[in-house]
Amino acid sequence: MAMNARSWAVWLAVGMAVATGCRPADPTLVKIVSSLPRTGSAKQQSDTIVRGIRMAIEEADGKVGPFRIEYLDLDDSTAAAGQWTSEAEAANARRALQDPDVMAYIGTFNSGAAKVSMPILNLGDLLMVSPANTAVGLTKPGLGAPGEPEVYRPTGRFNYARVVPADDLQGPLSADWAKKRGVNRVYILDDNEVYGKGIADLFDERCRELGIEVVGHDSIDAKAQEFKSLMASVKAARPDLVYFGGTTQTKGGQLAKDMASAGIGALFMVPDGCREQVFIDSAGAANLEGRCFVTFGGLPPEKLTGKGQTFVDRYRTKFGELPEAYAVYGYEATCVALQAIREVGVKDRRAITDRALAIRGFDGALGRWGFDANGDTTMRTLTVSVVKGGKFEFEEILDAAEEAATP
Amino acid sequence: MTFFLQQCLIGLTNGALVALVALGYTMVYGIIRLINFAHGDLIMLGACLALTVVSALGMAGWTGAATWFGVALLVILCGLFCGGLNVAVDRIVYRPLRTAPKLAPLVSAIGVSFIFMNIGLFWLGPADRSFPELLPATNLLAGEGLQFTAKDLLVIVVVVPLMIALSVLVKSTRLGKAMRAVSQDPTAAALVGIDVDRVIAATFFVGGFLGGAASVIYGLYINTIGFQMGFQNGLYAFTAAVLGGIGSIPGAVVGGLVIGLVRALSSAYVGERWTGAIVFAILIVILVFRPEGLLGRGTKEKV
Amino acid sequence: MSPVPARPSDAIEAVSPRDRLFAFVRERWDFVALIALAVAPLVVPALGGALGGQVTTLFVYCILALGLNVMVGYTGLVHLGIAAFFGIGAYLFAILTVPMYPFQMRFVTAAAVSALATAGIGLALGAPTLRLRGDYLAIVTLGFGEVVKVTLRNLEQITGGMKGLNPVPPPGAGLKIGDTDLGLAFAIDPRWFYYLALLTLAGVVIAMRRLENSRLGRAWVAVREDELAAEAMGVSATRVKLSAFAMSSAVAGLAGCLYAASLSTTADPNAYDFNRSIMVLCAVILGGLGSIPGTLLGVALLVGFDTVLAPWADSAIQEWNINPTGSSLLSFSGWRLAIFGLALILVMRYRPEGLVPSRRMAAELHEAHP
Repeated sequence: MAMNARSWAVWLAVGMAVATGCRPADPTLVKIVSSLPRTGSAKQQSDTIVRGIRMAIEEADGKVGPFRIEYLDLDDSTAAAGQWTSEAEAANARRALQDPDVMAYIGTFNSGAAKVSMPILNLGDLLMVSPANTAVGLTKPGLGAPGEPEVYRPTGRFNYARVVPADDLQGPLSADWAKKRGVNRVYILDDNEVYGKGIADLFDERCRELGIEVVGHDSIDAKAQEFKSLMASVKAARPDLVYFGGTTQTKGGQLAKDMASAGIGALFMVPDGCREQVFIDSAGAANLEGRCFVTFGGLPPEKLTGKGQTFVDRYRTKFGELPEAYAVYGYEATCVALQAIREVGVKDRRAITDRALAIRGFDGALGRWGFDANGDTTMRTLTVSVVKGGKFEFEEILDAAEEAATP
Repeated sequence: MTFFLQQCLIGLTNGALVALVALGYTMVYGIIRLINFAHGDLIMLGACLALTVVSALGMAGWTGAATWFGVALLVILCGLFCGGLNVAVDRIVYRPLRTAPKLAPLVSAIGVSFIFMNIGLFWLGPADRSFPELLPATNLLAGEGLQFTAKDLLVIVVVVPLMIALSVLVKSTRLGKAMRAVSQDPTAAALVGIDVDRVIAATFFVGGFLGGAASVIYGLYINTIGFQMGFQNGLYAFTAAVLGGIGSIPGAVVGGLVIGLVRALSSAYVGERWTGAIVFAILIVILVFRPEGLLGRGTKEKV
Repeated sequence: MSPVPARPSDAIEAVSPRDRLFAFVRERWDFVALIALAVAPLVVPALGGALGGQVTTLFVYCILALGLNVMVGYTGLVHLGIAAFFGIGAYLFAILTVPMYPFQMRFVTAAAVSALATAGIGLALGAPTLRLRGDYLAIVTLGFGEVVKVTLRNLEQITGGMKGLNPVPPPGAGLKIGDTDLGLAFAIDPRWFYYLALLTLAGVVIAMRRLENSRLGRAWVAVREDELAAEAMGVSATRVKLSAFAMSSAVAGLAGCLYAASLSTTADPNAYDFNRSIMVLCAVILGGLGSIPGTLLGVALLVGFDTVLAPWADSAIQEWNINPTGSSLLSFSGWRLAIFGLALILVMRYRPEGLVPSRRMAAELHEAHP
């Protein structure tokens, strides 16, 4: 009995190991890989991004130049963790690198995950376009931690780009907006993660510059179940606005609930990581009504025009609902990658990456934009939406140039 | 001063809920020396049922006396569900392992916990779900400058009678006496005619019932449930049970209240992010200096 | 039950070459496995790519599990916080090597210092707590795991918080062999880490074998079987348990060093939480408590399940379009928890000594049910 069980298990393990190893390249095939959190509460958002990617491929009739396209939807989260993990992300990156047909990597959703896969993909010159990373240190020198972003480019060459504006726009502009709104005292919370803490710190810095009093800045434990005593502390500090740097997955909704339970009347402001329907549902629409403001780097889906509007309409016809905020970014990222592949015409990762990063004046669903020298988008629009009636309602556009002009 | 009182109030309310969950752990441990890792996830399943019932009956739209009646109904329903589930698990998983070495039931409990979590994952989906607000949000202590709503009152109103009922059960009823006997020495109890397996099943039922009640309170008080909530809550409640002296019912209550207070006060005065570390550091320190817990009795190991 | 009488012909019957081979493999499984694994990268090209990194991580988990085996398998002490020592080892190693800090030690020095320091921390935790009863000790280790996780997360100035410490330089950075820079070789070709991890694992296995048969190893088992009897025979239970704790922590710390080096980052503190501890514990228990081949098999099965079987099954489901709506019920990894749970329950019920048990454990666990 022991011999059977043991040898069976061993042969199975060996067999699986060998089977995964053998994969020759196919000259007519190009693969596009996405690495997004496909389990846990981020699934709803990543579902729409994946749909956007698929729509872009469908529009191209599943072909780019002389190649046909195959799309692999990889998961960088695990069922156990309920969110992205370093190991899963590293495994996805290595798997994409190892497959000679993969020419583009659409990912990641979470900035922390990008830090793991960027150096790996950089070694292979594989094009990485993110639809959602906003942490500044990924591309902008001097703004992130010491050594960023060079640590993500071990070869010194560039391979990473993102289609969404970074937090160096979102964080400070949120503070400007708060000041304009008459906020004098602010209590800042963050989820202690790369993205959340990053944007909360940027918000904090700008508030102090503008003369808004930061009455408290604490990090929460994203695994905690409730925040009643934290909210009692927040209430005692009497802020006009509570800012949370984080996402729905790191308990943005629960914070709003406990804020309402504690009887805090202050405004609640959250960044783009919370701009999804799941956030409103998890907070309870009544708790957010009229007092919760969400910033987003770009225009919300219902405000898109031209090609963007066409995308939204087609999405709505196909799936019967409005896309979430990031769907069009997934779409655009894929379009950009496909354009680069089309223009290069051969399966040369280095050439495709160079071509993609050299794009200026791309006419896409997001408007007319291009990548700058760092791989950032040239789009600088930030919008603020308010939660009304259980939905996000567009409130205003914040223009970087305009805000800088007002004292 | 009001701030301190407010935090104490929050801490004690939270602590009462923790104590209720801790009672489930302590009862099972007391009777068969098993750390029931699956208890937290059992409560999660109870909360799933509560959410389903609340949505199905549209209880969010009820008002006044109907709401309180509805809550009572939920408590009983979920209590029965969790109690029954606990008994079933004991019968299927733990009973065949009565004579096995201690590691076997412990690891099996971890296995049951995983299975419960998977059921919860299918039931609720991967994201956290909101539990509707059933109780009015009026602040009952607005005059004192404190925040204490019907939700907080509910915790006290349910937990205290349940604790009293449990004490009465264990101290004054025949079943309680049988439980104490089996807890002390199962062989001797069998020799005097007690049906040990049935008493154990009854203990599991009572522990599960308390867990079911806790799941309803949890849903109404915290308003969020998710398939992973069992682990975090179980951890704190279990710490409370050990802190108070595992196997001791008043110990579980004291432990729960202490944990609740420590969490609230450390969040308020040290910082929210250190709370987890502080709770467990206190646990380790107390166990080092008083290994049997605050109210536990030291057991002498016989050769 | 009387034993089956041996036939006289058994002694003189010729043993077929096939049986001889099987017997050799069973007896010297470790030698055979080592040769096979050492040769594998030359035969399996995928090991030069993504698979190589995954197998390296598998080796690291094997080392971690062997460390846990010392506590849970040999000494019978339930340890629910091994991931904390894994993390401490990884972070200490990172602190000693990353450019952010002035130490910047070489790999071997840093690994040695880190493993020793982790052992020291294990001793510090163990000294006051090892006199606690088994269940209480389990809770203390569980609590310690949480404390370590929270501390690693909050002491941002030292640990980098959720970002972790990176980049951890590869071993041999700056050393040259011929005219290849060793550090660069490690960074580019995963086979270097593969061999480093395999070598370390082999070393740990040899060390464990030696310990098993030494006085200390036998003392561990004596304390596990009957602590009072052992004390009566002059074995100091506290000292023995402390040594188990220290050894276990040291090996876990060593595994942490390898982990950080092979990932070139410490990853975020959430990688060292209770889930990790439980996974390693499950691997040791399923594979075989107190048995080295069992522990290794347990890790291979569990990790293989997570990193090979589950993604493959999920991709297959995607390709065959069985699950168009993406519901968890129809996905393979949606059932992962239930499969693990069921496996644990079944193993504990029918084969508590694990898949490849140590003979002593099998006898011990089955003496109640012959």
